Amino acid sequence: MKADEPTKVIQVLDDRAAQVWTKGSGEAFVCDRKSTAGSVTQRACAFCGSRVVLYPIADALHIVHGPIGCAVYNWDIRGSLSSGSQLHRNSFSTDLAEKEVIFGGEKKLEASLLELIEYYKPKAAFVYSTCIVGLIGDDVQAICRKVSKKTNIDCIPVDSPGFKGTKKTGYQAACEAAYKLVGTGDTSGISKYSINLMGEFNIGGEAWMIREYYERIGIEVVATITGDGRVDDLRRCHGAALNLVQCSGSMTHLAQLLEEEHGIPLKRVSFFGFEDTAQALYTAAEHFGDPELMCKAEELVRDEIAKYTPKIKAYRKELKGKKAALYVGGAFKAFSLVLALRALGMKTVLAGTQTGNAEDYKQLQDICDPGTVIVDDSNPLELAKFVLEKEVDLFIGGVKERPIAFKLGVAFCDHNHERKIPLAGFEGMLHFADEVAKSVLSPIWKFAPRHELRALKINTQIADTESP
Amino acid sequence: MKKTQDFTTNHNTNQRRNMSATLEAPTTEKTAVKKMRKIAIYGKGGIGKSTTTQNTVAALAEMGKKIMVVGCDPKADSTRLLLGGLAQRSVLDTLREEGEDVELEDIRSGGFCSTLCVESGGPEPGVGCAGRGIITSINMLEQLGAYDEEQELDYVFYDVLGDVVCGGFAMPIREGKAEEIYIVCSGEMMAMYAANNICKGIMKFAETGVVRLGGLICNSRNVDRERDLIEEFAKRLGTQMVHFVPRDNDVQRAEINRKTVIDWNSEVNQANEYRTLAKNIDKNTMTVIPKPLEIEELEALLMEYGLFN
Repeated sequence: MKADEPTKVIQVLDDRAAQVWTKGSGEAFVCDRKSTAGSVTQRACAFCGSRVVLYPIADALHIVHGPIGCAVYNWDIRGSLSSGSQLHRNSFSTDLAEKEVIFGGEKKLEASLLELIEYYKPKAAFVYSTCIVGLIGDDVQAICRKVSKKTNIDCIPVDSPGFKGTKKTGYQAACEAAYKLVGTGDTSGISKYSINLMGEFNIGGEAWMIREYYERIGIEVVATITGDGRVDDLRRCHGAALNLVQCSGSMTHLAQLLEEEHGIPLKRVSFFGFEDTAQALYTAAEHFGDPELMCKAEELVRDEIAKYTPKIKAYRKELKGKKAALYVGGAFKAFSLVLALRALGMKTVLAGTQTGNAEDYKQLQDICDPGTVIVDDSNPLELAKFVLEKEVDLFIGGVKERPIAFKLGVAFCDHNHERKIPLAGFEGMLHFADEVAKSVLSPIWKFAPRHELRALKINTQIADTESP
Repeated sequence: MKKTQDFTTNHNTNQRRNMSATLEAPTTEKTAVKKMRKIAIYGKGGIGKSTTTQNTVAALAEMGKKIMVVGCDPKADSTRLLLGGLAQRSVLDTLREEGEDVELEDIRSGGFCSTLCVESGGPEPGVGCAGRGIITSINMLEQLGAYDEEQELDYVFYDVLGDVVCGGFAMPIREGKAEEIYIVCSGEMMAMYAANNICKGIMKFAETGVVRLGGLICNSRNVDRERDLIEEFAKRLGTQMVHFVPRDNDVQRAEINRKTVIDWNSEVNQANEYRTLAKNIDKNTMTVIPKPLEIEELEALLMEYGLFN
């Protein structure tokens, strides 16, 4: 009996009940709303949202106008790799303290910008507004205009005070800021078969792999936004013929601006798993309508899949029937992961996102198996509850989910900022399978208290049946 | 932080000592029962808060009281008359220029009749957060021991910016800093609106703390039936009119000489008016939680007293 207790204690908050849904329950599902106060959401603030989106632009200066904590909080958080400049990995800050709160931080911002631009000679500068700046009302726009004029370097304000809304509000602010550069560069010489890769952040070098796939089938990649990003690429990205959006939450707004103002169509894609990666290549080839492109795409997919399938099959044998929980930022990654796990013979029993919208969740519900729990804007307690109740073998998430998994004695796979090996593309699927297998099949988990409890429960039951 | 705690402890010990002094040993020395009165002056911008405060403080000082005046306005013009126009370095300017290493003597100046003058100061108009400045500056005064028992203050006066625009300007009435509020007003409609609004703030903080309303000070603008109007207004608020200060150009004459009226010419009638106001405050024991009026009631009151006829 005792073994059941831990799971019984955790309850979903009343205000959040509609954001937790079980496939097959027939109930309504609610999403895309502000976090419930006191629920300790896994979401970050609006400022953090804007920062993670823009920060991979490697040759720009990124300066956080706020108290030092804001800058430290997401210093190098994304783990985005750059093929050249490493300037983005610095977390510059105006280090606002009591004095600046009272007397205003404008002068310090101006001095910091002038000094940093003089020293680093960046291609552009992004100035992030934090809560404090939103409250004391520094005129960041005016300072940016002034410094731009003085230095001839574009200083772009990012209107992202933390309290402005959810993490999604910050994504929007980032898109607005990035869009200020779009259309200011020369587009001559761009191929008619050209794309921008949007919402790809080059964690573990994934943008490089994906770029290579497209180049192999004859499609030019004008800009990767923002992984291994460059200011000059952004300036001319309006010259591309198609936008492929991977991270739906962060980049849809910029893609929409490019569609409205420059007539560039957008298509949603994903590069996680064989199926989705192949589909992403076919989508572009199909869009351009050139049979030669499609031919090359099919050839590439065939070659790559043949290369990795035998190894994947071996993992599949060992992983068959294992149960996974996943909690990620955007919905597209969730779809891909459900499919990728299925390809490994595993079952997704819990799926959730921080920023999915109604359309996203409809799609997620469709691809999940009956009985799967779907959560929107979840929190540590809820996630713990379902990980325990569903007797999960693997948790896939980011840095904030990791301690939940490890505390409960569950294998964990980081599919977010902290992954160091590429998990995207065909090769990435093999890495993913390898990492999942090594983690799930590790003998360490049998020592986890959770398993002791389960064993205790079984032993008690056996004892019960044995005793007359 | 440590000093602040010490301050609180001292304060409590002092109160306990007071109690035991009155209960057990009526013959003990009288010096132990001295209690500092903490007063904040609020009111509409331009109503004459700083002038009234300084003139009243001058009269109290003349009576032999030891007083500290804390100006809580970024303009830093609350102590000019007491200091004879001496431009005083504000707490925040000192903090900005010298960092945390500040001595009490750097920010406190002696004025008329040994009054102690402090200006919080703050940012120039349109930048930063003046409200936070008030919070910082009052915390700093506490840390430096400006309110400590050994200062032997009879009174501390806070002269606060007219519009309590944010939480920072309510700092002097939070956490038991000021315990008595006097609102300067006149028979003009906007001045009464402002006074009523301030009462709402006092009511809020009175529920959670010790702050109470001591009364209204009418700084006359020569409005018809002004005295009756303000007396009635005070009554409706549940308080009193502490004094009716008539309009007199001697106030301006003293001001142009950078002096309080008593300092400039202690014989004139207006000097006596301020002496009366000071005496009334000194002997006042009526402190209440005000009952702010609804706007309709306030307007009806103004109609009744003929302002709109």
